[in-house]
Order: sequence, then C-alpha cells, then structure tokens
Amino acid sequence: MADTIVENRAEEVPFSYVITDLLSSNLQQKPDKMKTFQNMWGVVGLNLPDIEAAITMIFAGGRVRIEPGIVGKPDLVINSSSEKIISLNAINIKFGLPYYFDEAGLNVLKQLASGELKIQGMFTHPILLTRLTKIMSVM
Amino acid sequence: MAKVKAMTQEWMDAYKAAIVADPEYKTVAKDWEGSVSLIVNPDPSKGVPETIYLFQDYWHGDVGEFVVCDKAKAESAKFVMTGDYARWKQVALKELDATKALLQGKLKMKGDLPYVVRNIKVVNKVIDILGRVDTQWPDEA
Repeated sequence: MADTIVENRAEEVPFSYVITDLLSSNLQQKPDKMKTFQNMWGVVGLNLPDIEAAITMIFAGGRVRIEPGIVGKPDLVINSSSEKIISLNAINIKFGLPYYFDEAGLNVLKQLASGELKIQGMFTHPILLTRLTKIMSVM
Repeated sequence: MAKVKAMTQEWMDAYKAAIVADPEYKTVAKDWEGSVSLIVNPDPSKGVPETIYLFQDYWHGDVGEFVVCDKAKAESAKFVMTGDYARWKQVALKELDATKALLQGKLKMKGDLPYVVRNIKVVNKVIDILGRVDTQWPDEA
C-alpha cells in the first residue's frame, strides 16, 4: 500500500530510503497519520549539509514524491546535521499536535534556538510543518 | 587485560560482559525487545576474507545469546544491520556516527525503523559500550 503512495525518485540519495522507510512504516502502522497525510499539500526540502545530501518531498493529498536535491522553491526547508535530524522524528504527538514540552520537544527547541536546526518557512507554513511533524514522528 | 580479536566469539563474550556490567544499560534498554544481527561484509585487504555474521539477543534490559553465527541465524534477527568492515570499525571507534552511517547508506538496516528511532538511546548506548571493548582489529594485527 505505502509503496504506491510514497514514490522515491531520489534513489541516488541513500538518505531518501530512510525517509521512505520511516514514512511508509508510520503510515502503515498508524491510521491517524494516514489521515493527516491525506490532507497534506505542499513542498518540503530536507537538507543535510554535513553529508551533502538533500531531498524534496512533494505532498499531494495522500501521495508524496521524493526528488533528489532541493527542487524549486519549497514551502518549508529543514536544514540540519544528519546526526540531529533523527531527533525531529522523536517528537511526541499530544491531542493531534506536536508536543514541545518534554525532553524530545525541548531538545528540538534547543536546536532551533542554537541554529543547529533551521526551518525556513516555519512561520509562513505552520500547518504544513505541524502535519509533517505528525506523520514523521515515530512516537 | 589483553586485547580481544574483533568479531570472534571471544569478542562477542567480552562485548556481552561489558553490556551486562554497564550500570545504566538495564534502565536505558528496559523497553527494548528483540535480536539484532550485524553482518560484516568481507574485505580481504583488511584481514576479513569472508562475511562475518554476529547475532545479539536483547530483551527488556537483559542480554541473551551473543554469538558468531551463520547467515540463516543472522537473517532471522528482528533487526539486521549490514556494512563493510571498515564502516563497522569506524562506528566502534566512534569515528562514524551510526545514524549518519545509516543516512549515508554506509550501513543498511532491515527491520522496523520507527522502532529503532523510538529507541535510539538504546542503540547509542550499546555502541558506546562497544567502544570500551579492548579490540584487536584484523587490519592492525
């Protein structure tokens, strides 16, 4: 099922397989994440400069296509080190929203404050960011 | 204490003993369920002529079987991680972060990835302990 809705066209970027696996597993295991995914429209770039890897995720109401590199002008661009990016997946979801007031959430806020994590578009596309956090969270 | 030859049964025994002796491991790994296999791809130029299969059983803070095994047993583990000898050595020596290696495709994993990410502290803990095993690497012999 998930293979048909997560299309990975960034096969030359190993990191894209991890994102595909995480997203596919989450959607298969958690029906509430699938519901959120079906309402997602927008373009998200993930950039990991330390390993010189980037992908763009193009969400289209229940489907996502992953392209290599940063394509076009995404609504959100997440810049992080490869070691820190996984911490974004550890954010807890409470009442359908990301929860930033426990250890995992505070860790992400700390990274944002220190500049280790940068999210371009977080103030202009907060709903897309919230939905992205929800579908990518493994919690 | 003498160094232990990497990726031998003696090394697995030493690794298991180090995990059991760690004061924090039991608490950190209290929720972890399931076996992990490490598959080391051969590299004759570094003294690893054949693929090595290592099986480790972890269960709620307890440590079970830790053995050098065959391919079938390795592939029966809940999580199977594969990589070249040089990468595993880098991970053990903390020259390469395991998460980074996974994202770069230097290590590959079969298994429930969300489960691993949820329990990343356990993974980091056992890697941390691995670094404490006094190891004789085959390419340094």
